[in-house]
Amino acid sequence: MPGVDVTVEVCGMAGDGTIAAGGMINDAMSHGGFSVLGFDSYPAEIRGFGRCVTRSRVGDREIRALDEATHVLISLNDEESKSRVPVLTRDCVVLFDSNPPVLVEEDRSLVAILDPETRLFPMPFGDLAAAAAGTQRGRNLVALGGFAAVCGADPELFREAIRAKFKAKSQSVLQANLKSFDAGYAYALEKFHDRLLTMFASADLPKGPEKVMLSGNMAIGKAALDAGLKLYFGYPITPATPIMEYLARELPKRGGAVVQMEDEISSIGAVLGASYAGKRAMTATSGPGFALMTELITHGVMAEIPAVILNAQRGGPSTGLPTKTEQSDLHAAVFGGPGDSYRIVIAPTNVTECYYYTVKSFQLAEKYQTPVIVLTDFYLDNRVENVPMPEAREEDVRDGNIYPNVSAGEPYKRYLRTESGISPRSIPGQAGLQFTATGLEHTERGKPDYSARNHMEMSAKRFRKIQGALADLPEPEEYAPDGPLSVGVIGWGSTFGSALEAVLAARERGLRVGALKITSLYPYHEAAIRKFTSRCEEVLIPELNYSGQLISLIGRLCRKEAIPLNLATGEPFPPSLIRKKIEELAEAGAQ
Amino acid sequence: MKTPGKVLADKVRAIGEAKIFEVRSESLPTWCPGCGYFGIHQGLNACIKELGMPLHKVVTVSGIGCAGRYPFFTRTYGLHTVHGRTLPVATGVKMANPDLTVFAVGGDGDGLAIGGGHLPHVARRNVNINYLLFDNSIYGLTKGQPSPSSPLGMTSKASPYGTLDKPLNATLMALTYGASFVARLFAGDPKGITNALLEGARHPGFSIFHIYTSCVTFDKSFKTWEHLKEWVHPLPKDHDPTDLRQAFDQVLQDDFSVGVIYKRG
Amino acid sequence: MSREHWVVIGNGPAGNAAAVTLRKFVTDARITLIGEENIPEYRCNLLPDFIAGALREEDLFCTPIQRFREMDIKLRLGQKVTDVAFERGELKLAHNEVVRFTGMIIACGSTPSIPERLGMFRDLMLPLKTLGDAKRWIEKLARVDSVFVAGGDLTSLCFTRALLALRKRVMFMLCPDSFWPIPLSSEVRRSCSARLEERGVEVLDCAKIENLTRLSEDSVEVKTDAGSLVVGAVGAFFGLVPNVRFLARTGLDLERGILVDEYLRTCVENVYAAGDCAQVYHPGIRAYWVSIGCPNATEQGRIAAMNLMGGSLSLDVPQENIFEVDGIKVNTSWWMEL
Repeated sequence: MPGVDVTVEVCGMAGDGTIAAGGMINDAMSHGGFSVLGFDSYPAEIRGFGRCVTRSRVGDREIRALDEATHVLISLNDEESKSRVPVLTRDCVVLFDSNPPVLVEEDRSLVAILDPETRLFPMPFGDLAAAAAGTQRGRNLVALGGFAAVCGADPELFREAIRAKFKAKSQSVLQANLKSFDAGYAYALEKFHDRLLTMFASADLPKGPEKVMLSGNMAIGKAALDAGLKLYFGYPITPATPIMEYLARELPKRGGAVVQMEDEISSIGAVLGASYAGKRAMTATSGPGFALMTELITHGVMAEIPAVILNAQRGGPSTGLPTKTEQSDLHAAVFGGPGDSYRIVIAPTNVTECYYYTVKSFQLAEKYQTPVIVLTDFYLDNRVENVPMPEAREEDVRDGNIYPNVSAGEPYKRYLRTESGISPRSIPGQAGLQFTATGLEHTERGKPDYSARNHMEMSAKRFRKIQGALADLPEPEEYAPDGPLSVGVIGWGSTFGSALEAVLAARERGLRVGALKITSLYPYHEAAIRKFTSRCEEVLIPELNYSGQLISLIGRLCRKEAIPLNLATGEPFPPSLIRKKIEELAEAGAQ
Repeated sequence: MKTPGKVLADKVRAIGEAKIFEVRSESLPTWCPGCGYFGIHQGLNACIKELGMPLHKVVTVSGIGCAGRYPFFTRTYGLHTVHGRTLPVATGVKMANPDLTVFAVGGDGDGLAIGGGHLPHVARRNVNINYLLFDNSIYGLTKGQPSPSSPLGMTSKASPYGTLDKPLNATLMALTYGASFVARLFAGDPKGITNALLEGARHPGFSIFHIYTSCVTFDKSFKTWEHLKEWVHPLPKDHDPTDLRQAFDQVLQDDFSVGVIYKRG
Repeated sequence: MSREHWVVIGNGPAGNAAAVTLRKFVTDARITLIGEENIPEYRCNLLPDFIAGALREEDLFCTPIQRFREMDIKLRLGQKVTDVAFERGELKLAHNEVVRFTGMIIACGSTPSIPERLGMFRDLMLPLKTLGDAKRWIEKLARVDSVFVAGGDLTSLCFTRALLALRKRVMFMLCPDSFWPIPLSSEVRRSCSARLEERGVEVLDCAKIENLTRLSEDSVEVKTDAGSLVVGAVGAFFGLVPNVRFLARTGLDLERGILVDEYLRTCVENVYAAGDCAQVYHPGIRAYWVSIGCPNATEQGRIAAMNLMGGSLSLDVPQENIFEVDGIKVNTSWWMEL
């Protein structure tokens, strides 16, 4: 394939500066105009000695997913890096420390298990750092210098990234880091002069607006700020915690507050209380915390109180795989809880959507007086993409509330059964419009009422209201040629990027295939989905869960039974797996 | 001579003079005749009236239980939440709009059992909400099971051989958790409730009102009106509510002294 | 570890032959082949043809890497052994890794030698031993028309042929150094010169280089005992020295190379040497000798492997080990100690 598409990994132990090095690769390459998607993984256990791995996919075309194959490995700890060998391409470039402080036994050696085609670039990281800056701490920067020289990346981009990263530190720290980088760069240039590569030379870089590196979590945090969030209530849980930490820093500057509550139940409780009182409030959690919130979420449904709940999915059930990714809370998000508790569930598929859908969720919650669940996953939350800085438009952030207009003397019916199902809502502080919001089934005036007819009518009103939200929810997007398709792939969440890459690759091989992105998971656009599936010979639904949760939600909208492709590995969905399945199905169909 | 007709007329006049319907809603409370909650209702209504707060600036938050129904019986904004979550929801309301006066109401099951984990945190967070804990030592709405404040050995359909778990002392817990205003009150003394509520509502921080009350339907032996009237008595005249050590001593020595036990200056 | 682990040092013809032979007869031993270059084995004797453009780079390679995967031979390329502790059965690699072994065949080859007095001009001379050297020559020859070849060894003659094929002007200096241990007699000199001149090579009437001066990127002034001349490039073909320096303090008997008996056994049990690095005792001449050339190396690798597995093959060699290359007879054991 022409152009640039390189996946670089940095692997080391906590304390090796692994994550910092990976971050600087992302920053430097982004600054150089490349598309970048980075994803770090780190251990769940904090012992100070866990394995850290950063993966950065760098290319000159839009990047929508990580691919499995790694082309460059920068090993800051060879024993930890051994775990990466299965994903390395055979001719992978491996930079490693040629002079580790202690002798390494063969059975612990990275080099011992690499394929002979691997391109080895041994460099004395620590020695070079010590010689350049007086301390071995900069060995990760020496490695970066080696990477830039060996792979042919512009060193000035890295120097810029280093300056940006250490600008807050003292001048001596910055200089030490620059010196370490330069030492690695110069060493590699000279030592490997006859084997230097030009991995980035053939780039055909698109011109466009300046981009920033943004993680899903940061995009969500920024979106909440831009949407006018006033209160955040939360409880620490991987992988949602960075949102709370970001807001704890930023929200007070804008007159808001972050309260770390005693658990997830109190978090959603306080969000409902604050939303009931008319302020934008949210919480972010992951599966186990989301499960605790379930009862109060249905209270929000019944009492018709807005709330924004971000569920950053991780591997489950129960505590599951805290630092792994999965899409197995879809059913919990859509159906979780007692009763017919319809609520809005939206799932962004990339970092930019994380921003826009989070912004939008506040308005949706207000307008439809309902909990809105934004469903992300570990991979989406923690990955970084370089994107044009997202900015909310005025109409996306404006008040979504519909206030009552009651003439004097007329009793206020808080739960008025309107055609749309939306009943104008008063806010405490508004005179003459007091009501009691309740989780009991109630009349239009909010009085408890368990009569058959009332429950039927109120259930219908709430259902109608949520279905009506479709008008404001993002439509499914087709990425397909016109006419019949041999295979149509439907994707959601972080898996969609992998699905689209797979579809585009299959199309390059001449297959008539397409992809459909669904971001509104409840309610969902039945007609648009049917329109797509009706022209697909086969519908393939890849998901990062074992049971096929989207397929059981929308499978009925396919002409014939949709084909599941499920992975419960805790890892991002590899595009190549989807592509293979597409090719298999297309081939079977052609016969 | 008091004829029944005259007694009724006096009562109607008294109710009218008290203007209780100014705060109280038209909905007839679902509580049993003789329930102690009426006294609390009366006390709180008088307090709201006395405070002079417009009713649309007052929010009553409740959980589940007989006390949970409270918001339906008041003209303030009401938020009838789920079981045990009164305090976090009230926290959200108050933080969203500090101009609102927030009363959180709930029973001993709601506040000490299912919601017991929230009390320490709302106390240490010191959010300016007023929590009325209706302590009748029984689950009334589910028809008479033992609660966390039921006496040891209490028999019921759910504990036919007597309970094995020791009762909790809500006032002592509140002091321990660092609540900045702690009062212990008696539902049979609406005036006392009003006075303490007025003081607590004006206190800038979390206030808890631990109110002894009776379940006339399911408790025929423990917190009966007869017993409560016999046991309850005012705090010693020299009790200094600003002295935390004295407050602890008082609560440890005496389970039934009522009044403002502690108030952080 | 109960399993045998045989390590072969050197990825040339001797090392490869040794590793493949070991695997051919023993399936359950671990076999590791360690090579200093980053590329798999190639035919170094064909490098002059590669320079002449008669072969493509891919034609040089012998065994596809896939074969090693199939044979379960652990091929470790671009890695260098820096020390061996024979008594403990451990070797150390340059990147501070320790590998344990139960048997070893050393086939670490040789390096072009530069006479000590010319050491200061090292950067101005190009040798031809590796593929890297060949590539540098190709780059150089694209820009220069004349080459001064200082030498007389086997490689220099093949290389000269490549230069002629490329229509380069070749100035040849026969160096006595390259002909060790046989003296560069006037007879040898005459026959060599005649042969070379016949082909269009200018054989210079000089015996030593006195000075080299870089005039520009692609021109060097060569001052010899018979005068000065300006050429595009200078080739160094003074024979080869075994790469045995890393074994200097390991207790292995070394002289010019690793001393082995006719069974290629070193003084350490289960350790053998083969190819350019081995200095083999010849019972016939009752002296040690060294051989070069792919066929010799391959054969020695095979014998060392057989003997490591318990065989007792001896190296069968003629007393006079003479090669005829391009019509010129030369002795193949002419390296020297510097």
